[in-house]
Amino acid sequence: MKLLEMNHIRKNFDGLEVIRDISLSVEEGEILSIIGPSGSGKSTLLRCATMLEQIDGGEILYMGEKAAYVAEDGRRIYPKGEEARKIHSCFGLVFQSFNLFPHYSVMKNITDAPITIQKRDKKEVYAEARELLAKMGLSDKENAYPCQLSGGQCQRVAIARALALNPKILFFDEPTSALDPELTGEVLKVIKSLADLQITMVIVTHEMSFARDISDRVIFMDNGVVALEGKPDEVFDADHTRIREFLGKFRME
Amino acid sequence: MKKRVFAVMTVAAVAASMAAGSVCMAEERTTFTVGFDAEYPPYGYMDENGEYTGFDLELAQAVCDMQGWELVKTPIDWDSKDMELNSGAIDCIWNGFTLNGREDDYTWSVPYVDNSQVIVVSETAGIEDLAGLEGKIVGVQAASAALDLLSDGGDQADLAATFGTLQQFPEYNSAFIELQAGSIDAIAMDIGVAQYQLKEKEGFKILDEALNSEQYAIGFRLGDEELCNTVNDSLFALLEDGTFDELAEKYELTDMVCLGDELTEAVADEEVVETETEVAAE
Amino acid sequence: MNFTVMLEQLGNGMLKSLGIFLLTLVFSLPLGLLISFGRMSKNKLLQNIVKIYISIMRGTPLMLQLLVVYFGPYYLFGMRIGGSYRFIAIIVGFALNYAAYFAEIYRSGIESMPVGQYEAAQVLGYSKTQCFFRIIFPQVVKRILPSITNEVITLVKDTSLSFSLAYAEMFTIAKQIAASETTFIPFVVAGIFYYVFNLVVAVTMEKIEKKLSYYQ
Repeated sequence: MKLLEMNHIRKNFDGLEVIRDISLSVEEGEILSIIGPSGSGKSTLLRCATMLEQIDGGEILYMGEKAAYVAEDGRRIYPKGEEARKIHSCFGLVFQSFNLFPHYSVMKNITDAPITIQKRDKKEVYAEARELLAKMGLSDKENAYPCQLSGGQCQRVAIARALALNPKILFFDEPTSALDPELTGEVLKVIKSLADLQITMVIVTHEMSFARDISDRVIFMDNGVVALEGKPDEVFDADHTRIREFLGKFRME
Repeated sequence: MKKRVFAVMTVAAVAASMAAGSVCMAEERTTFTVGFDAEYPPYGYMDENGEYTGFDLELAQAVCDMQGWELVKTPIDWDSKDMELNSGAIDCIWNGFTLNGREDDYTWSVPYVDNSQVIVVSETAGIEDLAGLEGKIVGVQAASAALDLLSDGGDQADLAATFGTLQQFPEYNSAFIELQAGSIDAIAMDIGVAQYQLKEKEGFKILDEALNSEQYAIGFRLGDEELCNTVNDSLFALLEDGTFDELAEKYELTDMVCLGDELTEAVADEEVVETETEVAAE
Repeated sequence: MNFTVMLEQLGNGMLKSLGIFLLTLVFSLPLGLLISFGRMSKNKLLQNIVKIYISIMRGTPLMLQLLVVYFGPYYLFGMRIGGSYRFIAIIVGFALNYAAYFAEIYRSGIESMPVGQYEAAQVLGYSKTQCFFRIIFPQVVKRILPSITNEVITLVKDTSLSFSLAYAEMFTIAKQIAASETTFIPFVVAGIFYYVFNLVVAVTMEKIEKKLSYYQ
């Protein structure tokens, strides 16, 4: 089953075309990595999928249902109210800069949305949150505040926060770019453990070996279009000028 | 959208509270609201027990007792007295209120106190007459009769021109503190207030030469003849039964009261004639 | 007048000053938030109206505003004023003035919030209202607390401006006693009252700041 479909997506910023007619889909249980040079539109595409940016053309479907689209007359049609909440509950997003709520404890960061928005039972949510924290290796931090944690710990809390809402699909927007190299590993390890649990994930990343290792499918984006798409080996070993250039730069760094 | 509704509601709430605060006064008079400066002894001030009292307020109380009104004593900021009166917040200004020079601005009761404007100086300053004030710093209360007299267009404007500075004060107390401290040389003020202040304080004197002579009366809203006449009648009744002189004595104003004197009698006669005509008309 | 009576009178005045102080805060703190929304509105007309309002409130003396609120209904609409309106006018005048200052403080706090907080809340499914009151506003409060403290302390002293409407709060009473008793003592006592009042305010605000210092 296709969890997410994006058809003919376009996005402009002040007349500049950042995404030009991109289509992609994500199957249930699939792990999709999006790679490409800075400014190629990877993050923008993710922000369009999570509705942080409004599209200028095309349509977005979650679970086969039209979530957002641009009508013939150019109007953007986005869901409102109850419908919006239903669609938002399909996905979670992990930010590059964590965006934890600094005034909430780790526990409250994770449990506030399930309790106040999904109106779920407090006890059940707390029990689930403790399980998640254990999975993240943060059982001793439930009463800590974000300012008392390292970057890697913060990002693991952010992942737990996203998972607590039981999304069908989890997006990662360069989850390790804001971290020191020695902290990157612990976060990647957590993401990998999620992959083993068959959670559907879309990951924008600069960690090439990680992407190659974890993904079922890889998209190489360049200049606002999908330049290459396929199984990890097909993409990383492709005889394609742009990707060879891109990967070459990476090795040199 | 919600924000706009909120904004409209806020404006409406403010307007409503304003409307609710205004009081309709069209009915039969049951109260008599006197506006006074609570910093103007002995006419209106706060007494030992923290109650507002004074010659004028006791007189107003006597009038109210006679008419069966409830007296409402409303201290006002003297600078805002006209606004308070015109807006209906008070019924009259009754507070050692100088008639001269304001004849056409209010409907006046009969004058009841003759008050001169005098100069108070320090005994040791060596100032003996008005000419001695040349180049000196003279204090005066803001919006007072003495200031009107000394300002451009006043009868003593030429004298004021010889002063070094004409310094305005919000009330007399701070003026006296400055006089004592030597930062001003003289204060121009009402004689009644001057005598009261000098009783409490040592080392000051009043110059023999006065700035002018003037009269106190009660100021009503221009055209409020009915209320004015009622109060006038009550005043004369109080003079007749001796209450007026008792109060004057209590506040040591016996030398200054002029209700029933020759000058006021003329006004009083007019009143009487008027009243008689009214009776005849009825 | 003996000293006890004077203290009693000034104490009464103090209660009235306290009344002005508390009522002003009760009305101006929420009103300021509403006004800050208007100031940040995408509706240009509303935004400009609020801008002019704030500019007038901050650009003219509070004493003048009190006079306008008190005497305005008569001069503008010919309404007879009197009775309890004197006090209502003082509260309305103070609340409108302080709301303008608070609005700008709120705005500075709200605009300093990183956009990531809004985005995280949106992705987690918080509605705009939930996001504001659960995520944004508590953090804004912490950020603007020092500026609010400044204004609140100024308000304590500004209550004395009610003397321009001859409302019998502490400063007006002090002036009246000083006049009738020809003494400076009431002013000294009033000064001490104001200082102690502000000391209490400052200590309270510091406590609140400390309470909020559990995160950065």
